[in-house]
Amino acid sequence: MTGLDIGALNEDAVSTAKRLGAEDAIALTARVKDRMIRFANSSVTTANHVEEAELMVYLAKNKKRAIASTSNLESASVKRFVRDLFDSLKGLPESEYVSLPDGASKYSPSTLGFDRKLVEVGEELPEFAKRAINASLAAGGKRSAGVIDAGTVWYAILTSTGTKGSDARTSITLNIRSFAEKDASGHGLSCSSTLAGFDSEEAGRRAGSDAKKMKEASEPEPGAYQVLLSPTVAANIVETVGMAASAFSVDAGMSYLAEKLGKKVADESFNLTDHGTMKGGLGGRVFDDEGTETRSTPVIQNGVLKTYFHNLTTAKKWKTKSTGSAGLVTPHGWNYEVGAGDSSYEEMVKEMRRGIILTSNWYTRFKNYRTGEFSTVPRDGAYLVEKGKVTRPLKGMRAGDDLPRMFSSVQLLSKNREWIEWWEVDTPTLCPWMLIDGVKITRAYE
Amino acid sequence: MKLEEGKQLAESAVSKALSAGASYAEARIQNTRARQFMMKNGESQPSFFAEGYGIGIRVISRGALGFAATNEMKPGLVNELAERAVKLARASVPVLKKKITFDSSKAARKRWAAPEKIKIENADAAWLRKVLLDIEGRIGDGKAGVKLPGRFLALGAELEEKYYVNSDGAKVEARLPRIGFFGSLTAVEGGATAQRLLEQGETGGLEVVKRIKLIDKVEEEAKTMGKVLRTAGKPPTDTVDVVLSPELSGIAAHESVGHPQEADRVLGREGAQAGESYLKADSLGRKIGSVEANVSDDPTLLHSMGYTPVDDEGVVAKKRRLIKNGVINEFLHNRATAGEFGLESNGASRSVSFDREPIIRMSNTFVEPGDYSTDELIGEVKHGVFFKTFTEWNIDDKRFNQRYVALEAYLIEKGEVKEMVKAPVLEITTPRLWGSVKARSKSMEFEAAVCGKGDPQQGAPVWTGGPETLLKGIRLGAR
Repeated sequence: MTGLDIGALNEDAVSTAKRLGAEDAIALTARVKDRMIRFANSSVTTANHVEEAELMVYLAKNKKRAIASTSNLESASVKRFVRDLFDSLKGLPESEYVSLPDGASKYSPSTLGFDRKLVEVGEELPEFAKRAINASLAAGGKRSAGVIDAGTVWYAILTSTGTKGSDARTSITLNIRSFAEKDASGHGLSCSSTLAGFDSEEAGRRAGSDAKKMKEASEPEPGAYQVLLSPTVAANIVETVGMAASAFSVDAGMSYLAEKLGKKVADESFNLTDHGTMKGGLGGRVFDDEGTETRSTPVIQNGVLKTYFHNLTTAKKWKTKSTGSAGLVTPHGWNYEVGAGDSSYEEMVKEMRRGIILTSNWYTRFKNYRTGEFSTVPRDGAYLVEKGKVTRPLKGMRAGDDLPRMFSSVQLLSKNREWIEWWEVDTPTLCPWMLIDGVKITRAYE
Repeated sequence: MKLEEGKQLAESAVSKALSAGASYAEARIQNTRARQFMMKNGESQPSFFAEGYGIGIRVISRGALGFAATNEMKPGLVNELAERAVKLARASVPVLKKKITFDSSKAARKRWAAPEKIKIENADAAWLRKVLLDIEGRIGDGKAGVKLPGRFLALGAELEEKYYVNSDGAKVEARLPRIGFFGSLTAVEGGATAQRLLEQGETGGLEVVKRIKLIDKVEEEAKTMGKVLRTAGKPPTDTVDVVLSPELSGIAAHESVGHPQEADRVLGREGAQAGESYLKADSLGRKIGSVEANVSDDPTLLHSMGYTPVDDEGVVAKKRRLIKNGVINEFLHNRATAGEFGLESNGASRSVSFDREPIIRMSNTFVEPGDYSTDELIGEVKHGVFFKTFTEWNIDDKRFNQRYVALEAYLIEKGEVKEMVKAPVLEITTPRLWGSVKARSKSMEFEAAVCGKGDPQQGAPVWTGGPETLLKGIRLGAR
């Protein structure tokens, strides 16, 4: 892949589109180098190396629009691909449309979220895995499963209006789960945009320690509890808020944030901001899919919904400006940041009268996206707290709520925050611990 | 054409990996073309199409597995990648405690294609849009008797072509066309909302839309949402019998039988992501349900979304009887897990793209039919709830503690289906669910679904289904 010039691919695509008569054209290419090692039962199961690139092209003529992506990237294939896409416009109806803005923007790569040292990482991954497994073992985990993923992605964009730019991101993440005995497991994450910020041992230690504490866990009594969500769990829920904040979701009837602009949607202590780029951010870039500059977008400020995510098309419909969040079809966030609170973890636990600490979760599913009713399944470390003290480990439960109630019941947020990106959180999120009152806990009929 | 160009690269990659020291090597060329059209509230969205073409190479060296993939299809680079896969495998040996050994499955040499009457290549944007417009014509503007202010419809036509070769002599060429529909409908009436996410699909050509009566089905769903909003009352809170529709039987079969019986989960390989299983390697033969509990997974069903007569390890796939008369009978295997169990693979290994390793996947997972008619089955219920469709669902990562929340559901009294009930909750353990099965109807229906697993995630097309299934003596949960 070293020979692939993604800027030249874009030139090929846009010049072909213009020659054919497209009024608007965007070419956006991403080149990816991904290295991964996976392990289970403390033994490696596979080591992967993927190098690939994808070109996405957007064309518009007479308010007809088409989008396509290809991984056939030889020059002749790209020209044929753009020609086919242009020809397909003839059979299309007019769709919601706004032309690309006049004026050419030029973008240089952001230095935030890129570490040259991570680009060449590969052979070190087995050693990182070994350290995590050993740290877990020392902390009480008997066996561990996990994945270390080192990714680098280079982007280039070119539009028919002359907007041009490139950017790059690096990230390294470890997701480790340790098991001490039947039903006793713990979870650890380390997520960083730099090699120096990556700490596989700390993630392993955390997973092993929770696995040990979870021995002899039992089911809680069903009912409403104060629930202390770890950054891992909170980020999973916050991501669903981000999805609901997309103007596309609102228009499609898939958002509990519909008709809530300017209104209170969370406790005033809750702040959610999206950043195109930010220090430590594992995702995002300086331009969005339409060539608009990305930015920091306050979504929820002091509990009030400030904006939806917009691309050019949704912005026109909503009589506002793009937030630099395109997605050509669906606007979305890049790196979420939940504002820090002023509590320590210990202070939060002390505040809990009858509560449950949740360190990890999965399988969040909605009954109704319009109302925000959902449930999620806690896993790994979970603990009952009574009168400010952790009393016993818990298993076999489900947490259910609706997002409007849940976020209006935020009681405390921690000072410390962690970057979260893993199997259950796609959008990198800088997140604190969150204490929430009145979350319903249920159990299965046995 | 693309596939033809890649064949030599695949064969060369296998040779290169072997000469670099691999004890086993395989290469898979995968070429996908997908067209999709979307409508939001009756408005056309930009048409979308995608092409994917590349090679995935997997090797075993010194007992460790290495996988490498690229879409830069140049002989020098692909051969370099084959060598890299071997190096990767070897570099991971210091963290290898248990060597990976494949079984001795017979290597398939086969060319197969899912049957199609009207070639999938004919599905252009205009055709896809026409189908969605026909649906809009039935449900837009309150035509289904309920306002649906949130309507997102997407119809896709996909062709997947593969060429697979391995060092054990397998050589497989596949053509797999599919039609898939996704719809999200939000109904509003009297200030209340109901929401339904719908997936439908089959392998085949353009004839699929008529064969599955897609337009009628979506219209029927929309009409039902209106009834839910207008008539559904509170569900019972005492102990009841529960009748699961084919849709509910299917999701329960998929989530609490298919997943925990994937041998890679049983052995812990998915521990950090999709999780492990409440079953262990020695659970075969364990009684988990009543004699009426019978669940299978069958990749050979014609027209099915999970149609995979030969898997992505070059093994001829066959039907698997997962639970037979209430007993754990068989796991889903690939060549590595079969090797560990001392068995032959039953051909459950699939990959959704050239850049993803093949892993154990379900195909079409279902409750086996029984011998009751639907009326006879309902007639067995004195006091119960008929779960017809579901919205929210989830299950823990051992596949033991699950929940299904119904959208369309009815009270059953004295053997007759009565009024609708609102959002009854079945929150139940796996042994309790399958231990409560008392009868199954003869009728079989299937739903399309996309099953998520693996890291990076692989969304695999599957079917879930079954007959109506009667569960006796169930305590319902509550939202």
